[in-house]
Amino acid sequence: MRLYRNRNHDIPALNTASLPDLIFSILFFFMLVVHMRKATVHVKYQVPTATELSRLYNKSSVQYIYIGRPVNRLGQVDGKETVVQLNDHLTSIPEIRNYLIRLSAALPPEQRRQLSVSIKADRHVDMGTIMDLKQALREANVLNVNFTAVMDRKGQTE
Amino acid sequence: MMFRRREKRKVPGLNTTSTADISFMLLILFLVASSMDLDKGLARRLPAIDKTKKTALAVDSRKVIRLVIGADDKVTLDGRSVTMRAIRQQTTTFVKTNGKGHLIQLQTDRKASYDTYLHVQDQLAAAYNAVRDQRSSSLFGKPFEQCSREQQTRIADEVPVRISEVYAAAAGKTGKGGGR
Repeated sequence: MRLYRNRNHDIPALNTASLPDLIFSILFFFMLVVHMRKATVHVKYQVPTATELSRLYNKSSVQYIYIGRPVNRLGQVDGKETVVQLNDHLTSIPEIRNYLIRLSAALPPEQRRQLSVSIKADRHVDMGTIMDLKQALREANVLNVNFTAVMDRKGQTE
Repeated sequence: MMFRRREKRKVPGLNTTSTADISFMLLILFLVASSMDLDKGLARRLPAIDKTKKTALAVDSRKVIRLVIGADDKVTLDGRSVTMRAIRQQTTTFVKTNGKGHLIQLQTDRKASYDTYLHVQDQLAAAYNAVRDQRSSSLFGKPFEQCSREQQTRIADEVPVRISEVYAAAAGKTGKGGGR
């Protein structure tokens, strides 16, 4: 077989020159889609399900409130009581009110109207806490609230 | 000139094998330090506290339905126990028949769970959305979400969200939840 005499039997090396480009494109995708975590959450919560959800607009004027069970440094639930976290530290409901009053006093009026609160509460929290919080928000005159929930795909579990 | 002779040097190619590793490292950093934008929820507007005591709005008692969430998470509508699906159906027909003058009273016990409360609120929102969608498709031929801002305000004016929350523990504190 003359044809195969000069055949080189070395397998050519795989060209990985475009691998960085691939990874860079994934990286850019993530940089666009994702947003940075601002706060460490010291609260364990599982939000309820709902179907009529809407997005949260102008993120810059949103204050986050987390309600649920406290967690320790390792992320394990410790304690049965309900704790409230505002943005990045644990507080109480009266302190939230005072903080929001101070915050809205410092803002110009058009931003004050856009100030809103995202409530991420555990589904097993009792309504007493939520009512106290809503009352505190009303007293601080922060009236836009958004109860964070996840989409219910199966429909109502009734 | 001794060293002019060896001028024809070959420039070695830049070794870029580790660029992939560097970009992997950046990718992993972003994966760890960030979270996906999954912040969705049920938007509500709380009623403002009025310093001046206003006289109670005259509402026809036939145009009021009363939802009560008890301490045991049982939901009753005008005294009768209902399921979530029934809340949606009954409020939809109620809002449709009574139009602007209707009022939904929502009373929640302090021991009720947040889950139940949010499900009820969700059903009410679904009922309002259904009525608004129907109205907008008969007026403008498209669902409420796709209408322009003016069309949305017009429909929101015709079908206002009128939910009044009564706080069981603190009696007398009532409020009205406005539209979104």
